[in-house]
Amino acid sequence: MPAIEPSPLGEPADGLAAVSALRALADQLEEAAVERAMRDGWSWSQVAEALGITRQAVHKKHLRRLIAAHIELRRRGAA
Amino acid sequence: MLHRFLDGGRHGIPQFETEARQRGAKLIEAEHMLLALASDSESDAGRYLKASGLDHERLASALRDEQRRSLAFAGFQAPDEPRTNAAQVQGPLPLGTSAKVALVRALIASRSHRTRRGRLKDVDLLRGILLAELGTVPRALAIAGVDRMTLISRTGAADS
Repeated sequence: MPAIEPSPLGEPADGLAAVSALRALADQLEEAAVERAMRDGWSWSQVAEALGITRQAVHKKHLRRLIAAHIELRRRGAA
Repeated sequence: MLHRFLDGGRHGIPQFETEARQRGAKLIEAEHMLLALASDSESDAGRYLKASGLDHERLASALRDEQRRSLAFAGFQAPDEPRTNAAQVQGPLPLGTSAKVALVRALIASRSHRTRRGRLKDVDLLRGILLAELGTVPRALAIAGVDRMTLISRTGAADS
């Protein structure tokens, strides 16, 4: 099969770029939504359940950023 | 490790991070490096970009158009502004894959005139970024109507 010189625009490049753009947008949406929920007093478990992932995964991904932003976080088991 | 080849000053990591953070990114990518280079019209890289019609504003606009086009392909409308209202990641931002690849390409392309442990010039880095044939930067350049190969050849002529 001869080597091809793919174009950066058109298909399939547009489809691959869409994946990349959607991932970046989803990450930004997740950060903003998790932060909003934690500011509203949601627990890590509730955020995790709403996202459909484990509490540990949410914790690992967002804890440092939220602490640095001085957001009051609910402790496990707190009412 | 690649960081040691970059300038910590005018054309360096602080500017890349600023561009990345302004766009809500958690990694420095090649487009953030290119934006930083374009923001200094007094530098060699900035002059080459400007000669091709790419100042910072034009490049930022082309990158937004690229995002719009990419999201539209999947049936989504790009947000008017980057969603940077979430708290930002603290500390230095790591380099993303496209930035690392651009750095490696810049190091290889500058071997003839750079000392073994010498830092990269802004034009070297510009060439490293422009050598990408696919991805966000070449897409934005194509959308802006900029001939990437002509721009590469201009940066190459700077060394001769």
